[in-house]
Amino acid sequence: MLFRKNAILAITLALIGSTTLSSAVLADDLTVGVRAGPDSIDPHWSTLGSQAESLRHIFDTLVGVDKDLQLQPAIATSWTPVDDDTWEFKIREGVKFHGGSDLTAEDVKFSIDRIPLVTGPMSMTIYTKSVESVEVIDDYTVHVHTKGAAATLPNDFIRMFIVSSEIGTVGNEEFNSGAAAIGTGPYKFVSWEPKGDLVLERNADYWGGAPHWENVVRKEIPNDASRVAALQSGEVDLINYVPATDYAAMQNDSRLDTFIADSVYILNITPSVKDTLPVKAKVDGVEIDANPFQDLRVREAMDLAINREILSDVVLEGLGKPANQLMPATFFGGSTDLPAREYDLERAKALLAEAGYPNGFEVDFACTNNRLPGDAAVCEALSQMWARAGLTVNANALNGTVFFPAQQAGEFSLWLSGWGTLTGEASYTYGSLVHTADPEKGLGAFNKSGYSNAEIDALLEEGARTLDDTARAALYKQVTELSMNDRVLIPTVVIQTVWAAKADTLTFEPRVDQETLAQLIEPVAQ
Amino acid sequence: MFGFFIQRIVQAAIVVVAMSILVFVGVYAIGNPIDVMIDPAATQEIRDNLIRQYGFDRPLYEQYFVFVGNVLQGDFGQSFIYRVPVLDLIFSRLPATFELALGAMLLASVVGIPLGIWAGYRPHAFSSKAIMTLSILGFSLPTFWVGLLLVMTFAVQLHWLPSGGRGPTSDLLGVPLSFLTPTGWSYLILPAFNLALFNMGLLIRLARAGTLEAMSSDYVRFARAQGLKESKVVGLHVLKNISIPIVTVFGLEFGSTLAFAVVTETIFNWPGVGKLIIDSIMVLDRPVMVAYLILVVLLFVIINLVVDLLYGVLDPRIRARRSA
Repeated sequence: MLFRKNAILAITLALIGSTTLSSAVLADDLTVGVRAGPDSIDPHWSTLGSQAESLRHIFDTLVGVDKDLQLQPAIATSWTPVDDDTWEFKIREGVKFHGGSDLTAEDVKFSIDRIPLVTGPMSMTIYTKSVESVEVIDDYTVHVHTKGAAATLPNDFIRMFIVSSEIGTVGNEEFNSGAAAIGTGPYKFVSWEPKGDLVLERNADYWGGAPHWENVVRKEIPNDASRVAALQSGEVDLINYVPATDYAAMQNDSRLDTFIADSVYILNITPSVKDTLPVKAKVDGVEIDANPFQDLRVREAMDLAINREILSDVVLEGLGKPANQLMPATFFGGSTDLPAREYDLERAKALLAEAGYPNGFEVDFACTNNRLPGDAAVCEALSQMWARAGLTVNANALNGTVFFPAQQAGEFSLWLSGWGTLTGEASYTYGSLVHTADPEKGLGAFNKSGYSNAEIDALLEEGARTLDDTARAALYKQVTELSMNDRVLIPTVVIQTVWAAKADTLTFEPRVDQETLAQLIEPVAQ
Repeated sequence: MFGFFIQRIVQAAIVVVAMSILVFVGVYAIGNPIDVMIDPAATQEIRDNLIRQYGFDRPLYEQYFVFVGNVLQGDFGQSFIYRVPVLDLIFSRLPATFELALGAMLLASVVGIPLGIWAGYRPHAFSSKAIMTLSILGFSLPTFWVGLLLVMTFAVQLHWLPSGGRGPTSDLLGVPLSFLTPTGWSYLILPAFNLALFNMGLLIRLARAGTLEAMSSDYVRFARAQGLKESKVVGLHVLKNISIPIVTVFGLEFGSTLAFAVVTETIFNWPGVGKLIIDSIMVLDRPVMVAYLILVVLLFVIINLVVDLLYGVLDPRIRARRSA
């Protein structure tokens, strides 16, 4: 009996041997292993970052962005305010859809108008919220009328994908099947299924010049270890979001190239400054009614107790960088005048004593554990750093599924969460996080700390009305400096992300929005 | 026999109802799916509109009865995330999981049962002790670790097999399957083996215990006295007598392998339902969660039914009792 088993084993092994895959990939094909893909091929379905990233291959946006998220012409060649509530967009001539028809102003109007009708729970109406109506002036000119002055409209349109007005009333099913997936982008849609591969082929007639790769496959491999293994075994040419532990090993591996860059994501601490904390602080084990975070000295002490070098180099294993504001300083409305945050434990203790907490206090601290790389580790490290200043901070890392509804409901007293300035300008971030929560004005939607500062509010609102870029940037710079000095939120570290490819095969320049775009990847010249 | 069916169907219905209520209450208790999904830059107005659009502002019982009403008309609803019918979504991925689970169970049986019988037949042989040690490893090693090890060895180091994914499939009666081509096999073999390990260990132990007991029984002694060949004694009499517990465990394990292959699917990036359901839980995509769990309940019921019917085939005494 055992004999026969051995024979079977031998045959099986032989079979495996004969079917060994040759992983040689054709020179003009690119296979990318990505952590996440789209939820639909309809470019007006969702604001998800991986959605925009995937669909940017097939569709073009009205306004483009460079690798630092600063605006550049795309389908629109220029945009200018004609009066306080009208923007004029000039449309590029000679752009053709994959089906062969010309892109005109009608298609732009159709696309903008389509969003409220088809968008899903990750609603893209955030990009059209200031749009009152769209008017076609001629084939290549569009006027967008806004509700009041909307200075940041071009920024809102960096994910305004243009679809053909000929598709009519269709939804996800028609897009997913490919019937309606007709864009003007550098690649044509071939096939996709949810959580599966997105297959693309070159659009040789692309207005911006044909991309290099003939065929592109974007394989969705959410598991970090599996994605790394897929690269090491040669099944994919490039992967995104290399985990920190593998990054260290890969730097010593001559078979692989790595690319590292800052992301737009920063981990920020938010102390609730409401009159009553949702979960009250304790002094010597006894609940107190006062909210210690209302005292700027306490917020400053907590800031001073953070050693950002340790967070970046040790906790995030080198994949982080100290942050001193809520977005990169070079973004529109950031401040290059803010100094780096100091680490001064003695001063932190002194400030706490001065504020009336010589023996510190105890408070709960919530954070996510699956939202951004290292979020839970930073959270625990912070609670230890504060312990050295005499505070008892109970770190509680939660799954995002639990964290976000609770945060939205205002159940936390102190929390850490990631924020990415996806539009590359300040009003997106400060308008949402720092402006007084005001549903009427549509501002402060994510201000759950209860912070309210009339001066900052006025500056933000003035900015939204100021169409002159230089003047607006100056207003937002003031907002940045005021709110950062007031420690409304305490920025900790910028998350850095890593890509990896087979050594000496690809040229790749990381983008701050972390998009991995096949059209921007070229083979290394032989 | 008919009463037996009815009883099973009623049981299934109760479980399905209880489970769908649990999912609804669970998701409701965690919070609003919109809060998990929504973009941070959304205004309060956009958020409120969405909550109304998806009916999350209505009382829980109302949301539940709307759902039940739709299900009774055969409509399980659409996924929040993909806005495609959930049944389409699940059935597009079910063949992959089914193939993987079946492959794993067959592998576990083909390897596990003979090894177990051998270990029970020659309990003191060195080979038997080795088999038993291996079986302990089989169900004590964590699946994700073994899976990663397999990938590192066969894909990254040796380059014999792909590290993951399902590769090209070929259609059989419109169902995309891997096992029809050698390339398909190269993708299937590692995840199937990884998923089979635990069950292999289990089946080895079961078969060994059963064989040990059977070998000392009267019918084996009589069969030997009759002058039957050892292969006949073991292959016919022993195997038949130990098969009832094996079939039971096979059925149960097949169900759970099918429903919860998620770890293996994640490591090998196998496009099955396991990955889909985990992602759905992460974003509280309730329609997918409910429909999938209902499907799992039905699956367990069907498997148990098949197992019960097999008892009758295997054991004439059960057959006689049932018809009596």
